[in-house]
Formats: sequence, C-alpha cells, structure tokens
Amino acid sequence: MKQKLVSIVQIILLLPLDTVGLTGQSCPGKPKIIRCRSLEKETFSCWWKPGSDGGLPTNYTLFYSKDSEENIYECPDYRTSGPNSCYFNKNHTNPWTTYNITVTATNEIGSNSSDPQYVDVTSIVQPGSPVNLTLETKTSASVMYLWAKWSPPPLADASSNAHVYHYELRLKPEKKEEWETISVGVQTQCKINGLHAGMKYVVQVRCALDSGEWSEWSSERRMQIPSGQSPPEKPTIIKCRSPEKETFTCWWKPGSDGGRPTNYTLLYSKEGEEQVYECPDYRTAGPNSCYFDKKHTSFWTIYNITVRATNEMGSNSSDPHYVDVTYIVQPDPPVNVTLELKKPINRKPYLVLTWSPPPLADVRSGWLTLEYELRLKPEEGEEWETIFVGQQTQYKMFSLNPGKKYIVQIHCKPDHHGSWSEWSSEKYIQIPNDFRVKDMIVWIIVGVLSSLICLIMSWTMVLKGYRMITFILPPVPGPKIKGIDTHLLETGKSEELLSALGCHGFPPTSDCEELLIEYLEVEDSEDQQLMPSHDKGHPSKNAKTTPKETDSDSGRGSCDSPSLLSEKCREPRALPSTLQTKDVRDVQENKARKSCWETQCVASEQKPLLFNSECAKSSTWPAAQLPNNQLPIFAYHSIVDAHKITLNTTNANVAAVLVEKEEQHQSQYSVTETVPGDMERQGEMENLHSTTEQTTVQVKQNRPNEKSSFLDAALMDYVEVHKVRQNEESSVLLKHKENSGKTEKYTIAGTSKEYTKVSTVMDHNILVLMPDSRVLHTPLSQEPAKETSQNLQQGQAEKNMSYCLTAPSDCKRETSGSEYMDPSSFMPSLK
Amino acid sequence: CHTARMLTPNGKEYAQKIPREELTYLILKLLQAWKEPLSHFNQHMEHHQALPDDSLSKAKQISNMVHELETGVEKVTEKMQAMGIISNSLNGMASSEAAGLSISNEANMMSDSDFIHCFRRDSNKVQSYLKILKCRIMPENSC
Repeated sequence: MKQKLVSIVQIILLLPLDTVGLTGQSCPGKPKIIRCRSLEKETFSCWWKPGSDGGLPTNYTLFYSKDSEENIYECPDYRTSGPNSCYFNKNHTNPWTTYNITVTATNEIGSNSSDPQYVDVTSIVQPGSPVNLTLETKTSASVMYLWAKWSPPPLADASSNAHVYHYELRLKPEKKEEWETISVGVQTQCKINGLHAGMKYVVQVRCALDSGEWSEWSSERRMQIPSGQSPPEKPTIIKCRSPEKETFTCWWKPGSDGGRPTNYTLLYSKEGEEQVYECPDYRTAGPNSCYFDKKHTSFWTIYNITVRATNEMGSNSSDPHYVDVTYIVQPDPPVNVTLELKKPINRKPYLVLTWSPPPLADVRSGWLTLEYELRLKPEEGEEWETIFVGQQTQYKMFSLNPGKKYIVQIHCKPDHHGSWSEWSSEKYIQIPNDFRVKDMIVWIIVGVLSSLICLIMSWTMVLKGYRMITFILPPVPGPKIKGIDTHLLETGKSEELLSALGCHGFPPTSDCEELLIEYLEVEDSEDQQLMPSHDKGHPSKNAKTTPKETDSDSGRGSCDSPSLLSEKCREPRALPSTLQTKDVRDVQENKARKSCWETQCVASEQKPLLFNSECAKSSTWPAAQLPNNQLPIFAYHSIVDAHKITLNTTNANVAAVLVEKEEQHQSQYSVTETVPGDMERQGEMENLHSTTEQTTVQVKQNRPNEKSSFLDAALMDYVEVHKVRQNEESSVLLKHKENSGKTEKYTIAGTSKEYTKVSTVMDHNILVLMPDSRVLHTPLSQEPAKETSQNLQQGQAEKNMSYCLTAPSDCKRETSGSEYMDPSSFMPSLK
Repeated sequence: CHTARMLTPNGKEYAQKIPREELTYLILKLLQAWKEPLSHFNQHMEHHQALPDDSLSKAKQISNMVHELETGVEKVTEKMQAMGIISNSLNGMASSEAAGLSISNEANMMSDSDFIHCFRRDSNKVQSYLKILKCRIMPENSC
C-alpha cells in the first residue's frame, strides 16, 4: 500500500518532467564560441558551437562591443564563413581594438548567452594554408633534386593586397615519423637536395604573415625520388605547328628522367613510306623541339612522329603523333598596323586601318591565303568588338566616338584548315574631336540671341514690372455694394453706415424703447393688470396693495407724484440699501409707477446728474428730458447699480430680487440695446426705463416673494393715446399725460390692432405706436379705460407675458417679431 | 586513296616549278577522278540511312560542286589554250587517265572514313593548285 502510494507520488512528480521531456521544449542551451581567426589582420571570423536547441528552432545572434564602448553591435555577416559563424569584413575590423563577443541563442521559450569572448584581432591572425603544391624531380649536373612549387593561400576578400607571407616547408620520408623543416622565405618554390634516390617523400608547406601565427600545414604531397636505376619515363609530344605552310616544328615534354641524363630523339616516318627518319633539327626551335625545314616538309602526307627518351638504363618512346602539315598552319600575327584619318569634304572624317600579312606567309604566290579579323574596344571598355575583315588588308571605321581612345588588334588565319594567329600588339587610336566651324557659329549665334532676349525681358520687368504683373495677373476686384462706402465701413460709425444702407430702425432705436415705454405707460395702473393671470404665488397682499395704491388716474404719467419724487430726490445720498428698501416700500405704497422713480432714484445715486434731472422733472417717464446720451447709460447703470445696491441689502429681498432680475432682464433686453452705447435716441432712455421697470415687474412676478408686483402698476398709466396717422399706418400717439385724472379712452377706429411697435417718439413725450402686423388676435385685455392699443398690447403682452413669466427669456423672443425687444413681451399683462 | 598514285607536287616549290599545262592537267585529272566515286558514295549513303539528312544533302551538294568545278576548269583550260597561255599538248590525256582511275575498284573499296579523308586531301590539293595557277597566270589579281 505504502509502496503504491510512493509510486503514485513518484508518477505525479515525474509527470511534469515527462511532459517536458515529451514536448522537448525548453530554453536553448548555452552556445560556445569555438574560435576566432583572422586571415590577414583585415578581416576575421568567429565560429561558435551551438548548445542544445531546446527542441525548438533556434536563432543565433552574435553581439559584440569594442574596447570598453557602450554600443553593442550585431554581426554584419552570418554567411560568408559558413554556418554558425560570423564574418567581420574590412569595415568592421579594427586591428587595435579588443572585441567583446557573445553569442545568444534564442528560441520561443527563452534565450541563453554564451560567455563573452575577448578578441584582439592582431593576436588571432592566422592565414590559410598554401595551395597547389607540386613536386618535380630534376637532375642537374647529375644531381637529383626535388623541386616544390605552391601558391599563396586564397583570401575571402579578393580585393585585398598581396600580403607578404613567409613560408615553411617540411618533408619526411614516407615511412618515417620525423619531419625535416626548411624555412623558405617569401618565395613560393623550393629546391630540395640531398634526397635519397628511390625513396618516396611526403612534403607539406605552411605560411605566416609577418608577426602572426603560422597557418595550418597544407595537404600532403608525395613524391618518389627516382632511384636512377630505371629507364626514363615516356615523353609526350605537345604540339606541332607550321607558321607559313612551308616548315613546321614539333615540341615534346619529357617525363621524369629517372635520375640519369636522358637523351631525346624524335623519329618520324611519312605516310606510305617505311623509312624512319630522325629529326633534322633539334635546336632551332628550342629545347625539346624539332624543326622540320622546307626540304623535310611534305604536304598532303601524314607524318608519324615519336619521341624517344634514352638513358643508361633504357629508353622509352612516346606515343606516335600523326600530323598532316596542311592542317597545322598557324600563321604569325599581321604586322605594320597603321592608322590614317581621312577627312573627306562635307562628310564626317573616318579612320582607315591598314596592315600587312606576316612576313613569312607567302601570300603572293597564292600558296597561303589568309583571312583577317580585328577587334577593338574603347580604352576604358571591357568587351571587345570583333569584326571579320576577310582577305583584305585594310578596314575603314566610321562609327567611332570623337574624343575617345580606342584599342585595336588584328589576327589572321589561313582560309582553309588552320588556326588563328595570336593577336597583334595593341594599337591605340585617338579620335580627334570634330569641331566644325559651321556648328560653332550656329551655337554662338543661338547663345547670343537667347542672352539678348533674356536681357530685354529682365529690363522690361524692371521698368514696368508692376504693369506687367497686372497685365498678367489682373488684380482681384473687390466687392461693390451700392451704398456702402468702404471707408465709412472702416472708420465711420455704425449708425451712419447703416443709414447709408438705408436701414431704418436698426439697431433698435427709440422706437422700441418707446414701444416698451408706451406699453408700460399706457396701461393704467391696475394692479390686477399688472399681475399676470398666472400670477403664481404673488403675494396677494402685494396685489392688493397695489390696487390700493393705484388710483384712477391711469392717464397720469407714472412717477408723477411730486411728493414721491421729491422724497426720493431728497434722499439721494441715503444708504442705497435703505433707500432702496424704502423706495420699494414707498412704491408699494404708491403706485407702481413710482418704482420707476425709485429705481431711477436709486440709480441716480450713482448718477446724481441724472437723478437730479429726473427728480427735477415731475413729468413722467420721459426721462426724455434727460440728456439722451446720458440716459441710456444712466438707465443701464441704474440697473447695475441698483443691483449692486440691492445686493448689499439684506433686508430688501424683494429689491434684491428685483434688481437682480432687473439686471438680468436688463441684460437680456435693454442691455443689448443700450450697451452699444451710442444710442442717442430719446426713446432709448424711455426704453430703458421701461426695461427697468419691466424687468422689475417681471421679476416680481416670477418670484413668489416679490412684493413688487405693485411696481407694475406704478409703471402703468402712462400717457394718453392719440391716434395718429403716420406712414399710412394707423399709429397711436401716446402722450404723457400731464394732467392726471384724465383718462381717456381711445378706441382706435377700425381694427383693433395691437400697437406694439413704436415708430417714433415725438416731442419728447409722445410715442407713436405702430400696429404690429403679427399680433392680430384681439386680446381680451381691451379695457375701456385703456387705450386700446395699449390694451391690446398689454393684452397681448399679457398673453405673451403668460409665456414670459414662466420663461422670460423665451417670451422675449416669442412676442413681437420685431428685431428689438417688444416691451409687451416683458410686461406681464397689465390687465 | 585511289588518287595516291598520281604524282602531284607536294610542296610549294614543286607546284611553282612544274609547267602550267601540267598543273592544269593535274587539276583536271583530280577533279575528274572524283566525279564517279562521289556519285557512288552518294548512292551508298542514301541506302545507308544511318546518317542524318543534312549529311546526305551535303554530300550531294559537294559532288555537284566538284562536277561544276571540273566543268569550269575544263572551260578555263580551253580558253587558256585558245589564248596561248598554255599549250595543248596534254589535251586529251587527263580525261582518259582519270576515267581509268575512277573505274578502278579502289574507289569502291575504301571505307567511308578513308573516302572522306582522301577527298578532303585532294580537294585541298586542287584548291592550292588552282590558287597557284591563278597567281602564275594573273599575278596582279590579289596575289
């Protein structure tokens, strides 16, 4: 049982290991840098041995850094030196730096780096081994010696200069173990004496650069030293040639001579004959050759030639060589290659190349007919262009580039059977530059003309540049709107401009203000009217109080009571707050209209001027008497200041509210009109007043706490209405009622229109109303005591106000579509 | 070669030494000696069917050329004799001798390679002799 448990545990423990083993995937093993070698101190390579690859494809990267620099570079060449190697070419090799090299093996799971290897290029220089080692035995003066020849090691970078290697040779008899080393020096050959005849030797060579390591030994070469007891080896006939189809020569190559002096004899026989002849001439053509002169040369017969080597021990013959002289003709190259430049009239000059056949060839008798071929190339060019010329000995060249240098060569061959001669020596051709006077003149004229044209153009540009530009690129015309003077636009005042435009009544002028004002004024001081139908939570008290206050003199200008006025006036400097409150209260007591004065007075706090003027005038509304330009500001300020004042108060909630609202509405309404500040209409001030009033009124009605509903009433009873014919519109004149108590009811003949538009203000206290085309429905607010227009207006206003009160801002926009504010929109229905 | 018995100069000097009439005669003899063997050879080749068609047509072409050349040389000879450049002492001999040669069995018994080899040599001879003859008779013409 226990064993079972143990075995189970073992299995469980081994399981993960098994899985690892099964999948065989793990981090790669650590690679190891085997060696780094430089062949010639200008390049070097490093080879590494990979560790285990962890079962996954592994990437090997080699990183190195120089000396103690921080930069790490990657191997520039992974290919040149084979797999698992890195080759550093000339650009990356610096002989005086120490390289710190590491190889990193990376696979999907992880990576592993080798230990760093410090490599100093100069210390790892080891050239490759010499190649092409050949051995020969030679006998000179009856002494046998071994002649070894080899080539320097090949370099990966073929362009590197020939380095000076030192060589070393070692040899030993085949059977022995000890090597005999011979220092050769810088030559690539060596003659070795003192060898035992009849023994076989093994030879190797190695090399080194000046101060570096020795290369590996080259591959072995074995050589049997002839013992001198055997006959010579078979010679071989190399070739036979006839230069002019009259004589011919044969050359042979001797074999090993076996250590003894050997004689060579050439024997030949002709076709059809049995007799064997010996070479007539061994000398003329040099060593190991036989020269057959004219007498011994027969054509159209086949020679059977053999060479025999003879020494004391015996002789050996070469293989027979059959030759028919007709077919072995190889002439000498042509001679007398000459060039001539011919310059015909009206044509491009050309080159004529002439040559002569080789001197020995007898072309005159027709015995030997030669064909020629020439080749040429530009001096810097690489490829030759070969031209077959035929049997002629001259050639005309037309298509050469002037000014360039060419190289020309010619060779020849017999027209039938034979081989090409060697190329003649190089001939250089310099093509002269072809300057024709005609061409030059043409170019000069063209150049002069074009420069003249340029001059003229630039001169005209300088002189009349602007005109030219305007001619070419006409200026963009500005907009031309009738009536607008651009200067006026820039500098003038907006009113003038707008008047120039022919736009009347924009921005809102006294008309709107009058409208507002009149609206307020005309309405009689019925507090109920003041209160909108939707009077929400307005303190009935207020409502009631106001009616109390209102007297029947609706026609009276509000703010008419001198007492009130004087009262107010006399308290210009009272605490604003107290004044305010007082005023409020007073207003409550009095008619709502008085509030206007209050506000005015309050405002006048800040503007004593205005105040005084206000107070001085017991007249109603028209603060028209006030300087126009001041009023707007006044009104504006009044509200602002009032706001400030009221803000300071703690008691006058209402007032505060009032003022705030005033201000708000002011801001909504009148400010927009008056702030421009340049309004100088009389109506403006009225307008402002009305706005203040209105705003106050409005505010009141919005706030349940407001007690200022009475204010509305106070704002009422403005003027009497006169219907006025003006501009074909039945407009209503609203005059300030000087006389209180005179209520005049005017019914406007004709349609009951809403006169919501104030067209003009006349005489400072007459508002000319205009019907508002939009407001059509007859409001219920027609009250007999009221000017219908006003009523209408107010009714309308009421309706509007019903809207307005809920959303003052909205109503502003909702009512009269006039571009400026319609007081009716603000006024709660004063009905 | 069946024409080996013919004594022909085997060097430039000899070719230049012998009189023109003999040279002309030799040329003609050679050419005529090859007319028959060539036709035989062509027939033989056609039956053989081992050679590609190019070779057959080439052989035929060569035999035609030889025939034409022989005709041409005859004409030239006649002209030369008429002009007195060469004497006409050996006039009729060439054809009869050549005829005797061509009929001989030797021509038929040669192997193909020998045949071709012999023909090559003799054509070269003819060419060389003609050239020499030309330059001897008309030296100014590219000689």
